[in-house]
Amino acid sequence: MTDPLITRLKHLIVDTLHLDGVTPDDIDEKAPLIGSGLALDSIDALELVVKIEKEFGIKIGSSEESRQALASVASLADFIRTRTGK
Amino acid sequence: MAGPVASETVLLKACDCLTPFGDSAETLAALLRGERALQLRPVLGREGGDPVPLALLPGRALDETAPPSWLAHVRTLLAPVNGAGWGTARRPVFVTSSNFGAGSLYAYRRSGDAAHMEYGALVNCVGWLREQLGWQENVAIFSHACVSAHLGLLQASRVLQAGLADEALVFSFDFLSPFVSGGFHALKILNADFPAPYQARATGSIGLGDGAGYVVLSRTSGDFSIVAQSMYNEMHHFTANQPDGAGFEACLAPLASQAAGRRLWLKGHGTGTLDAGRMESGAFAEVFAGAPLVGWKGSLGHTLGSCGLVELALALAAIRHGRTPGTIGSGAPTFTAEVALDSFANDSYDGVICASNAFGGAHAALLLSHA
Repeated sequence: MTDPLITRLKHLIVDTLHLDGVTPDDIDEKAPLIGSGLALDSIDALELVVKIEKEFGIKIGSSEESRQALASVASLADFIRTRTGK
Repeated sequence: MAGPVASETVLLKACDCLTPFGDSAETLAALLRGERALQLRPVLGREGGDPVPLALLPGRALDETAPPSWLAHVRTLLAPVNGAGWGTARRPVFVTSSNFGAGSLYAYRRSGDAAHMEYGALVNCVGWLREQLGWQENVAIFSHACVSAHLGLLQASRVLQAGLADEALVFSFDFLSPFVSGGFHALKILNADFPAPYQARATGSIGLGDGAGYVVLSRTSGDFSIVAQSMYNEMHHFTANQPDGAGFEACLAPLASQAAGRRLWLKGHGTGTLDAGRMESGAFAEVFAGAPLVGWKGSLGHTLGSCGLVELALALAAIRHGRTPGTIGSGAPTFTAEVALDSFANDSYDGVICASNAFGGAHAALLLSHA
């Protein structure tokens, strides 16, 4: 069964970063988001962090925490669940 | 571009800086006492936000004013050298900054007060500054993020070496605003932690500080000289360094031959971020093994585009005083054994390498020594 948070995050990534030619289904939830995989860069990461903080009402405190959270869609979902308790 | 560019040295006729502690002598004294100028303040000024370490000039608020509240401080800083015909054909001025009052654009957007627009763009800001300080038309502007001051020094040196000027005034400034602090906060490198440059810890963080500095370069007059300068730009990415840190070494290596036979100490960039701090200190240890490395942004915060001149003035003051401040705010373990946490006597050294780094893998370094 598909995890609704994972699905929501995939849509959020595609919409926020305007990823041309990429659909939510194309994103492997275990693949690295930064550098390889989707090949997002630090500017993309900044946009994504700002969007996630607003969307989920959470704070990411440091660049190291940001890097950890954005390791993959799955790790991002884990991070959000930890912070929101949902 | 890489390599020492100074085939003949340029002399420092005058040099000073301004930080929240005061001029270079006052700032040096505070650093030697181990004091920290950074204080936790709301990241967006009167609009609040998370507390972050900022070092503001005394009496100056983070929020923009029209005219900018920093003008009086700049007048005080430049008073010893200003008013002597700067901006003429033979006495050019080189103005550098990383943001030139970009916060005023944001202030205009927030307030709708068009008065902010007079200072809110690079040419507007410097044009206004030129009028306020009585400079004539020969004023050049350079900006390259946090190596801006080094770039101005390099260009001014080239002009002198080509015989195109008799003296050059290089002036650099960066005063904080909610636009600037908010930007670094969004990057997650400005948070509630105080910076600990070159310390191996779990998370990195920086502080930001107001800063300005100047140097009068001359071909004939001055008791200290910039022996060589090097700049290198990786052109790797908007913000990130090459992951292998090769750009740091590429910038420093050309200075090694100029420094041969000298006993050096090192003033690094050291903002408090982990990756860059590790790469920078590693490159220093590789190129200048055994030389003590210090960074002062744990006290003063990162003064952005002005840091090259602010910290050059402090290095000069330290040599004159005979003692170099340690890496305030940091503790063990450090990335390399060469990181000096405590102050040390420098009268047995022959010079100092001063380095700065910037977004996107831009690197700069110079060798300062007695003339």
